[in-house]
Parts: sequence; structure tokens; C-alpha cells
Amino acid sequence: MFACFYIPDFPVQASFLSEAEETRMALRKTPVAILDGPANLPGVFATNPAARRGGIQSGMTKLQVETYGGVLLRKRSLPAEEAAHTALLDFAGNFSPRVESTAPGTALLDLCGMEKILGSWASAARAITAQALETGFELRLAIASNPDTALLAARGFSNTLHTIIPVGEEARRLAPLPVSVLPISPEMLEVLDGWGIRTFQSLAALPAIAVVERLGQDGLYLQKLARGEINRPLLTIEPYEDFVEGFEFDDPVETLESLFFILNRLLHELCLELLSAALAARELRLTVELKILRLQNGEKAEEQYQHEWKLPVPTHDKNLLFGLVRLQLEKTTFSAPVRKLTLAIVPIKPRVAQGNLFAPPSPEAEKLEITLERIRGVVGSTDADGAACVGSPQLVDTHKPGSFSVGHFSSIHEFTNSPPLAGPVVALRIFRPALETCVELDGEEPHSVRLWHHPRPVLAASGPWSSSGYWWNFATWMREEWDVLLKLPAGLGLYRIYQDRIRRQWFVEGVFD
Amino acid sequence: MYATLRKAQILTQIEQKLPSAFTVYRRPQHGNIRTGIAQIDEAVQGIPLHALTEICGSSVASSGKTSVLTSLLAQASRDHFCALVDATDSYDPTSAQAAGVQLPRLLWVRCGKTRVQLPPLEQAFKVADILLQSGGFGLIAVDLSGISERIVRKVPLSSWFRFSRVIEKQPAALVFIGQEPHATSCAALVLRVESEPAVFQGNLLTQLKLKVEVVRGREKKPVCAEKCLERTGFSLRTQWA
Repeated sequence: MFACFYIPDFPVQASFLSEAEETRMALRKTPVAILDGPANLPGVFATNPAARRGGIQSGMTKLQVETYGGVLLRKRSLPAEEAAHTALLDFAGNFSPRVESTAPGTALLDLCGMEKILGSWASAARAITAQALETGFELRLAIASNPDTALLAARGFSNTLHTIIPVGEEARRLAPLPVSVLPISPEMLEVLDGWGIRTFQSLAALPAIAVVERLGQDGLYLQKLARGEINRPLLTIEPYEDFVEGFEFDDPVETLESLFFILNRLLHELCLELLSAALAARELRLTVELKILRLQNGEKAEEQYQHEWKLPVPTHDKNLLFGLVRLQLEKTTFSAPVRKLTLAIVPIKPRVAQGNLFAPPSPEAEKLEITLERIRGVVGSTDADGAACVGSPQLVDTHKPGSFSVGHFSSIHEFTNSPPLAGPVVALRIFRPALETCVELDGEEPHSVRLWHHPRPVLAASGPWSSSGYWWNFATWMREEWDVLLKLPAGLGLYRIYQDRIRRQWFVEGVFD
Repeated sequence: MYATLRKAQILTQIEQKLPSAFTVYRRPQHGNIRTGIAQIDEAVQGIPLHALTEICGSSVASSGKTSVLTSLLAQASRDHFCALVDATDSYDPTSAQAAGVQLPRLLWVRCGKTRVQLPPLEQAFKVADILLQSGGFGLIAVDLSGISERIVRKVPLSSWFRFSRVIEKQPAALVFIGQEPHATSCAALVLRVESEPAVFQGNLLTQLKLKVEVVRGREKKPVCAEKCLERTGFSLRTQWA
């Protein structure tokens, strides 16, 4: 069974919601008109039953309404309507976990399996409308076997607060409703009016094929709605949960142990919340607020430290998250004692992975981040150029020799059939940064290269290999490479040297090793 | 006859109660990772798993040890995740790509790049220790060849011994690249690589001829070092040849 919560005259009721209960009760008896439209010519957008009884209709101008006298005029407030709709959804969430936000002021609920909790439908409907009235809503409730029948009944039967349509009686119970209750276009409504079709009963009685021939598939859909034959799944809303935990110390703390104790507890609570919501952490954000210091000039210095972890694998493992936080805080120095801690988690659905008996062993994806963080603690995170010190090497799409980047290393990697290897090649061992050197030339070829303060004779040379790039911006480079075989005390050394053509300086780039 | 039988029964009973004292420790069966260089694989059947291996050669002259390491990484990264602890940040990803290393499966740790107080050698050893503890890597290579021989020589033997004991229990190969062998009996395999004159075709460098000596093998102990040496010669092509 499905239920529909429908708030009639929603803009009017939304404007009442912020008022006290007594005021709200009084306003219900007062004629109220909600105005909307351009500031120079506002018109009536919505009215309450008292105003309608007094002759106020939607579309009237403000001036026309003012001539009636005794009508309370209010400007339409979209934030108030949004807040009222959110409150309605929250209220609906008390009765079913599956709620659809159908329209402003309208919510559909799936009540399947709720009979034992709610009792008989009649008593449940009475209880729900009474609770809604306490919350501030005067809603109409309809219960039916399909969502659209419940929706049409709630909208159409304005005389009763709750309508219950038993299974199989949808067409009979909906029969007296006017066709204007259907989601129908004005043109089609005019056509039906011309045929004398004014109620659900008369529309439902028409032959289906004739309706399709004259009104198309839209007409057939409307006829099925009138017969209560449409059964669709609900587009349920996902409940938004805020995974944030914080702690404010009475006295600012200076030791990491105290912070770790509190952080451990906060993470424990957050992970429990994640588990209960069947979610995992995708991002973890730590905010540490430091003690407010008074400067000599009387101003207050407020400092805050923030760190964010983007987890490669969603997790709700408290120990893993705590390990990451602990490793980061251990290498951080704060300028003042800590006053407040806040931990926030961005949730995501947990990873579902099928284990493979025949896959080669790989680092555990969940624990790998801790390992990488520990390694970063030893070697540092980034070098002077901003390249990461720990990760997977990646080649950059450029002709500039020695260009590379370091990406994030992940153990979630499919071992597909690798292409056959072309065979071993001579590897270059790079000097980072390249060693400045002096080269003696014999004509155009290098004759000797100064290496580690001594000139080394060149036995053979291959080159020059010229290359250049980025001439269109400030990162211009231009070089001339030579591969030279040097005679060294330890043996023969095959080195790559190059001349920076812009700086006119020779460098040793590396050794073939 | 009765006494022998009785002794065997008693030993069996005690062995059940005190397994560590009376059970003969059996080393795990050694698998191996091929280096991709046929001559080396033929001589030593690849780099042993569950063991520490040293590949050494001069860092000033072109010895070819980095080429052997790159070829080994190319082979290992086909089936395993690999880690390279680069003590002096001298590894060339372009050479690795040319050799066929699966770069996404390679964890590259560049030591000595930040103002961290630890010297690069200590960083490399600490990182190797962390990687061994974490597990899951099929090959962990530690490149120390850019570090002065005088400093590496000061590493206490107990460190090498600890590495060899830890790696014994893991299905991984631990390879140290250096100028000289230091792990002594802790290493299951020690290879020394040297180069011979490079081959130039006209103006183009095309090949580097290498020579590998097996200083210590799994089957042989270097009781008499000179007699145990095996020399294998081969040549490697350059990327553009």
C-alpha cells in the first residue's frame, strides 16, 4: 500500500509554519492571500478556504483584493516553502523509509510491510493526520494500492482529511473526481469538456482504442490513471546524513596523546555511524582550531589547521583512519595549544570486490594508504619542484628529456596480459640536478669532459642530437646532446652530456649503467 | 635395535611438545623471478624469492647494474607489484618505459629529496623495512649505488641479517643494488656486473657489452672465491638501436 501526504494551499500553509501554534490556528480562520509576481503589479498566487469563501480568487491583483477588506496579504516566500517541504519529508520519514518527494507540499510513501507497526489503515490515517496537525500541517492523506491513485485521491477529495481505497476498488472510488484533478494539459481538458467528459467515471468508461485514436498515448495514460491502473515504482529520496564529530577542550591541550585519545573516540563514533548507514568514508577532513592568542596590539590571533585525506579505497576501518590522522599529526607542529577538534567524513557506498584465488599477491588496498603515509613520513611528501616523492612514475607528454611526474600508487590494478617485452635495453642513470661541467671541443666534437674535478678524455662520441621546445612560452629549452665514452680510473664510462644552448653551459645528464 | 627404536619414539614425543627445539628448520622452496637477460637466467635461474640478492658494479664507470635492475623490474612487473627504493633519486622512468616496466605497478620512492633530517641511506633502509612489513610486493629493489661506498660499509651486519630473515618468510625478492657486496652470507645471490667497450655504429651508440660474475650463488658457497666465479658475457641494445 502507498500513502500520499498532500498539503492543500501549500504556499499559505508554508507561510504559517514559522508562526506560533495559537497564531496559526487564528490565521486559519482569517482570509489570507499570498501575492506573487512583479513588484509593480503583484497578483494573488494562493488563497486559503476562508479567502475563497470571501470571493478572493487566484490571479486577482493586489488592488482588487484590497477592495474586499479584512484580507491578510502576504508575499510568497520560496525559502519558507522549501523549508516546509523539507519538514514534510522529514515528517513522512517517521512512517516509512521509502519516501518520494513528488511535488512541493506532496509526498508519497511506501507503506508495504508497515501494517504491524501502524495498525489498521483507518487508525493509522487518523493518527498521522493528528500528528501532522501538531507539527503545523493541515494535510490530506490518502492510502491506496498504487502511488498515483493515492496521489489523485489526496488531491481530489477535499472534503475529507483521510481517504482509504481498498485494493480493487480504485476505479469505483475515484469515479466522482473531476478530470481537472488529473495531470492534464489545458488543450486536452478543453477537448474532454467539449465531449462532455467531466469526471473520472466518464473518462474511464470510454473504449481504450478510441481514446488512443483521438488523444494518443497521453489520453490512454490519463484513462488508466482515472481507472487506478497505473502502478509505478517510487523515486525515493536518499536521506542526507552529516558525518561530522567535534570536541572542544575546556583547557587547550599541548600534548599529542590527549589529541589522539579524543580523535580515536571521534573516529570510533563516526565509523559506527557509517556502518549503521551502510556507507564508507571517501574523504576525511580534520580541522584543528588553536588557542586564541592576544597580540601586543590587543588584536586576537586565531589560527586553524586543516588537513584532508582523499582515500583511494572507501573504508570504515577506524584503525586505518586513525593511523592516517596520527601519522599526519606526528609530523605537524602547532604554533599554539589545541582548542577544538572537528572531524568530517564524506561518505560513499563501500567497495564491493570479488577476491580472486589466481591473482598474484598485492598490497592490501585499505592498508596501502597507511604504508604510503608512513613512507612519506620518512622521505617527505614532495620535492622542491613539487613532484611527489612516493608514487608511480608517469611519463609526461613532452619531448623535453627527463620530464616525468609521480602519480598516486594504487594496488587496484588488473593484471591483464601484458605485451611481450622487446628485450633488455641500456638504462640511463640520471643525475638530479644535472652536473655542471666543462667540455673541451675538438672542432665540433667533445675532446675531454671535466668530471668530478678532473678532465676525462673522450674515447668515442655520438652526436650532436639537437632538440628544443616550449619556444612559445617562458619555459623555452634548447639543447645539444652527446653520448660520450670516457676513460676513467675505474674503467670506461658511457655518459650523456648536453649543452644548454640558451645558457651556453654544458651539463652531465647521466651515465649509461 | 630396540634402543634405536626406543630413542626414535622418545624423540618423536619430545618433538611434539617442543617443536622448535627438535624440528629441523626447512627453508621455504625458492621460486624465482627471471631477469629477462637470457645469459643470467641460464646461469642462476633468475633472482630467488624469499631471499636477499645483491647486484653490484661500479657507479662511476658504466657497469650495467641499472640495466639489469630495469630488465628485472620489467619482468617482475608483469606478474607482481614492485617497489623501487631509490636512495639518490637517479632512476630514469623513460628507460624503464622503454624496457617494458609496467609503471602503474611500480612504487617509486625517491629518497633524499626533502629537508628530512635522516640521511638518504637511513631513509632507504627504513622504507625497505616498511615495505617488507606491509607485504604484497613481489620485488623490492633498493638502489644504493649512488651512495658513497664508505657510508654503506658502515651498515652493521645485523641489519642485513634482519632483512634476510624477514624476506625468508615472504614470497618476494629483496634486491640491493650497490657498488660492492655487503650482505656477505645474508645474501643468497650476489652478482657483479662490469661493462666492456660500448659498440658504436658510425656515429650512433648501439650496444653496451656487459659481463656478469656470480660471486655467490644459491648452490655454491664462496669458500674459495676465485674458483666459484662464473663469468657470463652479453650485450644490451640502446633504446634507439
